[in-house]
Amino acid sequence: MTQQDLEAGVPHADVLEIYRRTVPFQAVPEILLGKIAHLGNSAFYAAGEIIYKTGDDANDICIIVSGRVEHELEPQAQARRPLKVLEAGDVFGWAALLSKYPRRLAKAICTEQAEVIRINGEKLLRVLETDPAAGDHVMSQFATMIARDYTVPGLGAMLRKIHRRIHAGDVQGMNLTLYRYQQWLKSPRPYLMVVGFTLFVGFWYLAVEVWKLPRFRDMPGITAVVKEWLNPDPAYGLSIYTPEYYKHIGVSIWRVTQAFFLATVLGVSVGLMLGWSKKFKEYVFPVFETLRPIPILAWVPLAIVMFVATESAVIYLTFLASFFATALNTMLGVESIDESYVRAACCLGAKRAQVFRHVIVPGALPFIFTGLQISVGVSWFSLVAAEMVSGQYGLGYVINTSYTMVRYPTIVIGMITLGFVGYITSAMVRAMGDHLMKWRTRELALGAQ
Amino acid sequence: MAAAMQPEAAVSTTTRGAISIQDVVKIYDPHGAAVMAVDHCSLEISAGEICMVVGPSGCGKTTLLNAIAGFHEITSGRILLDGEVLCSTEKPKAEPGSDRIVVFQSGALFPWKTNLENVAFGPLVQGTLSRAEATEKALDVMADAGLSGVEHNFPGEISSGMRRRVEIVRALMNNPKVLLLDEPYRALDSLTKSVMHEALLEIYYKNKVTIFFITHDLEEAIFLGHKVAIMTTRPCRPKKILTVDIPHPRDYSVLTSRRFRELMEETNEAVHEEAIKAFAAGEKEG
Repeated sequence: MTQQDLEAGVPHADVLEIYRRTVPFQAVPEILLGKIAHLGNSAFYAAGEIIYKTGDDANDICIIVSGRVEHELEPQAQARRPLKVLEAGDVFGWAALLSKYPRRLAKAICTEQAEVIRINGEKLLRVLETDPAAGDHVMSQFATMIARDYTVPGLGAMLRKIHRRIHAGDVQGMNLTLYRYQQWLKSPRPYLMVVGFTLFVGFWYLAVEVWKLPRFRDMPGITAVVKEWLNPDPAYGLSIYTPEYYKHIGVSIWRVTQAFFLATVLGVSVGLMLGWSKKFKEYVFPVFETLRPIPILAWVPLAIVMFVATESAVIYLTFLASFFATALNTMLGVESIDESYVRAACCLGAKRAQVFRHVIVPGALPFIFTGLQISVGVSWFSLVAAEMVSGQYGLGYVINTSYTMVRYPTIVIGMITLGFVGYITSAMVRAMGDHLMKWRTRELALGAQ
Repeated sequence: MAAAMQPEAAVSTTTRGAISIQDVVKIYDPHGAAVMAVDHCSLEISAGEICMVVGPSGCGKTTLLNAIAGFHEITSGRILLDGEVLCSTEKPKAEPGSDRIVVFQSGALFPWKTNLENVAFGPLVQGTLSRAEATEKALDVMADAGLSGVEHNFPGEISSGMRRRVEIVRALMNNPKVLLLDEPYRALDSLTKSVMHEALLEIYYKNKVTIFFITHDLEEAIFLGHKVAIMTTRPCRPKKILTVDIPHPRDYSVLTSRRFRELMEETNEAVHEEAIKAFAAGEKEG
C-alpha cells in the first residue's frame, strides 16, 4: 500500500503519457493531469475475467494501459453499435460520471490479460472542480467520446456538471449583484477608483487653495466646503447636522421617484407601441422627435402656466426628459428584436397578442433597462432646472438659492450630494434590471467566469 | 430497433407532409429594378422524406423556404401541402402555422425563456394543452432526445449544438407535418456537426416528419437526404435532383462507403459550377 502511494504521489512522465493519449484527458494542463494521475490505481485482470457487469455499482472509470477489453452496452442504452473492443488508451466505465445512473450500463470482460487504471468518478469530479475551465473541457470530451465512440448520443447530456464555487444556476438577481461586488473588490478597479478621486480632489485643492489659478481663485476651496459640510453650526445654515439638509434630500428623492415612476409607466408603454405598430409610429414619432430636443429650461415658463400647483410643475419638468429617454430606448429595444423570434413564435402558433407578450416585451427588456438607467440620471439633471420654480425645498433649490445669496460652499455641498444620491439611484435601477432579467444576467455571469 | 428496419419502412410510415412546389416564381422589386430570386421552380417532396436543398449562399433557397413557411409572398406559381394550397398566384402569402415549423439558421430559441418553457411554448400558445400537461410532455420529449439536465437552464447557458437540439424538439412538440431547416448547423464546428447529424437522424427515425433542409454542404446533404436538390444560383431552380439510394437508417460509417463517394463525385461538379457562378455574380454586384 505504501509502495503504491509513493508511486501515485509522484506520477512518472510515462504514466502521464498514458493519460494524455486518452480522448478525455488530451490537452489537460500538466498540474491538473498530475492531480488526476494521483487518483489512479492500477489493476490487473486475466483473460476472461469480468471487470464489471450490467447493473453493478458504477464507482470508477477505467483506462486501459495494455491488453484488450470487450465492452457491451445493454439495449436500454440505445447504442447504435453496442459491442466494442477496447484497447490501450481507451476509456470505459464512464457511467461513473453520469448523474442518473449510479450503476453499470455495460458488461466489460477482458479478452486478453490487461492492465487497467481505475479512477474513482466522485474523486475525479472533485479534482476537475479545482480547475473548472479545464474540467468542463474534460467533461465535454467525455460527452463527445460517449456519442461518437460508444454511439450513444443521448447519454452525454447526462454527464455530471462541474460545480464551481459559484453555481451558474444560482447566479440571479441580488446574488449576482453581490457576486459582482466581491469580484470588484478583488480586482484592481476599486483602488484605481480611489486614485482617480484622490487626483480629482487633490487638483481641486491645489488649483484653488495653493496655486490660486486664475479661473479657480474665486471658487470655494475643498477645505471650506468640508468644514462647512461637517460643521454642527454651519456658517450658511446647511451641513450634515442640520435637519434641513435631509429635508432637501428627501424632497428631491420623492420628486424624482414620482417623476421616474410616471416616466417609466408612460415611456415604456409609448415605446412599445412605437416599436410594435408602424402606424402608431407614423402618427406619433415626428411629434415625439420635435419635442424631444427641447431643453427642460425652455419648458419652465409653460410648466408654470400649465400647472397651478408648483409641485406638479416640478414633477412634470423632472418627468419630461426621462419619459423621452425611456420611450426612445424601449422603441429601439423592440426594433432590435431579431425577426426570427417573431417568426418562430408565429410558426409555433402564437397570435399577435401572444407574440407581443412573449416576444416583444421580454425581448425589449435589456434596452428598456438601459433606457431606465439613462432616465434616472436624466431626471436628476432635470430636477435642478425644475426646482427653480419650487417653493422652498430640494437640492436644486439649495443650489439655486445659494447662488443668489452668495453661499458658495453650500452650492458645492448641494452638487456633491446630488451626485451621490443620483449614483445610488442608478445603481438601484441596475440591480432591479439584474433581478428581472435572470436569463441575461446568467449569460453574463457565465461569460465572466 | 431502428437497425432492423427495412430501408423503405423508414419513409413509408408517414402519409402526411407531402409538399408540391409548382412553377414558383419570386421577383423582388427593391429599388424598381426587378430581381428574380426564384425562377419557375418545381419540386416534389413525398411525405416523410428528407429533402436536402443545396446551393451556394444567397442563391434563393431561403426565399423558397420562406414561401412555404408563410413569411414571404410568391409572385406566381403555387405550393401545396398534402394537396391543399398554401400559396398561389391568387393568394401569394401562406399563413404561418404549426404544421410547418422552421428551425432558423441563427437559432431562435427565446433567450428569456428556459429550455423547458421554450419547448412547452407551442402547445401553450395554441391552447391545445394546459400548462401542467405541456410541461410534462416537454419534459418527456426532452428526456427522449437526451436533453435531461438542461431543462431549467436558459438557452444562453448551453452549447450551440444542444440549442439546436432543443429547437428541433420544440418544433416536434407541435407534431408538425414538415420541418423546415434553414442551414441549422452552419455555425457549428465539424465535430459537433457530425454529432448533430446523427442526433437529427435519430429524432427523424422516431418522428417521421417531412424535412426540408437547406444547406450549402454537399456532404451533409448526401449523408442525411433521401433526395438532394441542387439549385442553380439566382434565379433559383433545381439544376439536378439526386435520389440517394443509400438505405436508411444511416450512421457515420456511410461517409466512408463507396456509394457515398460515387454520389459525391456525381454531384460535386454541378455544385461547384453554381458556386463559381455565385462568386462571379457577387463580384459584379460589388
